Amino acid sequence: MIKFENVDVVYPNGYKGLSDISLEINQGEFVAIIGLSGAGKSTLIRAVNGLVPYTNGTLTVGETVVDPKNKSKLRKLRSKVGMIFQQFNNVGRISVLNNVLIGRSAFTPTWRSLIGWYGSQDKEVAFQSLERVGIVEKAYNRAAALSGGQQQRVAIARVLAQDPEVILADEPVASLDPPTARKVLGDLRTIQRDLGITCVVNMHHLDLARDYADRIIGMRNGEVVFDGPTQEATDSVIAEVYQRPLSADEIRQARGDGRLGEHIENPTEADLTQAVPAVEDGIERKDTV
Amino acid sequence: MSTAVSKRSVAAASAQGQSRPRPPSPKVPPYLGLAFLALVAFGLFCWTWEGDAVLFFPLGDVVLWAPRDPLIGLIIMVMALLICFKLRISPMGAFGGLALIAITYWAGSNIHFIDRIAEVPGRLTGGNTRQQLLGYFNPDWSYLFLHNVAGTSRPIWGEWLITLCMAVVATIIGCFIGLLLAMLASPVSSLNKGTSQTIKAINSVVRSIPDVAWALLFAAFIGGTAYGLGALAAVLALIMFNIGIVAKLLSESIDAIQPGPLEAADAAGANLIQRDRVAVLPAVMPSFISYSLYVFELNIRASAALGVVGVAGIGGELSRQIGRMSQGYENVGAILWALVFVVLLVDLLSLWIRRKLL
Ligand SMILES: Nc1ncnc2c1ncn2[C@@H]1O[C@H](COP(=O)(O)OP(=O)(O)OP(=O)(O)O)[C@@H](O)[C@H]1O
Ligand SMILES: [Mg+2]
Repeated sequence: MIKFENVDVVYPNGYKGLSDISLEINQGEFVAIIGLSGAGKSTLIRAVNGLVPYTNGTLTVGETVVDPKNKSKLRKLRSKVGMIFQQFNNVGRISVLNNVLIGRSAFTPTWRSLIGWYGSQDKEVAFQSLERVGIVEKAYNRAAALSGGQQQRVAIARVLAQDPEVILADEPVASLDPPTARKVLGDLRTIQRDLGITCVVNMHHLDLARDYADRIIGMRNGEVVFDGPTQEATDSVIAEVYQRPLSADEIRQARGDGRLGEHIENPTEADLTQAVPAVEDGIERKDTV
Repeated sequence: MSTAVSKRSVAAASAQGQSRPRPPSPKVPPYLGLAFLALVAFGLFCWTWEGDAVLFFPLGDVVLWAPRDPLIGLIIMVMALLICFKLRISPMGAFGGLALIAITYWAGSNIHFIDRIAEVPGRLTGGNTRQQLLGYFNPDWSYLFLHNVAGTSRPIWGEWLITLCMAVVATIIGCFIGLLLAMLASPVSSLNKGTSQTIKAINSVVRSIPDVAWALLFAAFIGGTAYGLGALAAVLALIMFNIGIVAKLLSESIDAIQPGPLEAADAAGANLIQRDRVAVLPAVMPSFISYSLYVFELNIRASAALGVVGVAGIGGELSRQIGRMSQGYENVGAILWALVFVVLLVDLLSLWIRRKLL
């Protein structure tokens, strides 16, 4: 469904966000991407719908090659690739229903959007989406007046209104409390399974990734360092994804310089013993419901 | 005065033998430099001063003297430096203060501010000021409500209606065009960088021409009151005036909106117009309403000033009455009081609308 072939992303300032990524994500899969802050998770996800233009290689979604330069082709692609954000990104001052209708933009004539007169078909889709995420009774409330969990549900409904083939989610539950995070993620998982949508989700919480994903991709320094089914993502593998840059960072801070290349290549005994407990702490931290 | 807190903290401080850090005191040499600068400025003041008043200082045998105004300037500068030193202000800050005083002195002396202001009491008591004031405070209300505009059958209060109508039309059209231009001017909502820069440049030009100049231009192009087009010229002038204000203020509001919802609209495949409509417009709507109400208020006031260039509305009548002031001030007084009253009313109205809408 989504195919990366030797994809690079170089940011305008010269920073290499992704280097030589080759991946294939299948139809209907729920993939969690994990990795330290700055590993390139957001970059990877945003490359898929062209919010971040990739600079080398080939990126294909379905049958379409993502072409960051061609705006109208990009809009067409985006109409079937929905995106959910950590900060929900709803328009606070308008109603929940109108927020969901933003998801219909690509299917609505411009003049209808302009005067805010959506067709009954579009409204029907919007209401169905709201029913799926269980907040249809809030349809005419202002979006800003909802709780975080409800707002993220609005965002999911907005994406569902696009009738998407792919849902990209950039840390969708990082701003929510643990029980709400589980509920929202559970809803997303159910919907994704029911409708056969391919789902790529960035996550900081390992336990959530393990509980909800079919497959886990670990990233570090703009590269994929682990890729396998959730069962294969054992503690030691996860530690591998997190461990070395962590210790290298610590060493860099202590030393006050930026040379961490050699440490990534040859971790010392000390690195391993220091880093592993820190990672295990992260795994220990289960949600208390 | 000793509170529980002060007692406790005194005890704690003495127990640990700690002293509080004091702000670093500024070094003397930079301040001497500043004092020298003040002297240089004093020299400059003396050199450019055209008056001849002198102050004397008898000091024992010698008598020092200095030109009056520059000396006052010097004394203020030295005092300011001393205060800055006492307050431990950094030399850079003190330099700023010094520069402010010097520039103010220089600008004021160029327009003979002090000399002129000293003449004001004399002017107020002499001449016909008393009569003018009496006229203003005894406005002729019957003129405002019962009389017609000289030489026509239009009542004076009708001119007020025309003014209000001009303001309404100009506000609605001007603010709408201003909204469109603001969308094009902000890089956040515009087509591309080039468009945004171009529109910004055009907008600066529109804004740099004052409303009275626009009125003169339009009156010259399409004809003023004499041809029955005065109201049109005034409305067009106000529209240009409003476009300038709204486009500028609103495009800055657009620059500052949260990027998140825009990104969400982009990610949903919305085109530029849809994105601006669903994500940008709701975010700036409160500012837009606020600016529009403010602009309406400005229009009422501006239309009084526009009368001077011979366009319609109460402004035209006001300038006619000012031209005829030697026959009495009661009419001008009535118009000015009514202007204050109408502007206050509009202000209250916009306050109410704002409270209802936002
Ligand atoms: N617009 C940009 N210009 C230049 N560099 C960028 C830009 N956006 C991100 N980067 C860099 O790319 C790297 C990867 O960023 P990315 O946002 O993908 O990380 P992430 O894995 O999502 O981190 P987090 O978990 O904190 O969200 C970072 O080092 C970041 O500094
Ligand atoms: Mg990120």
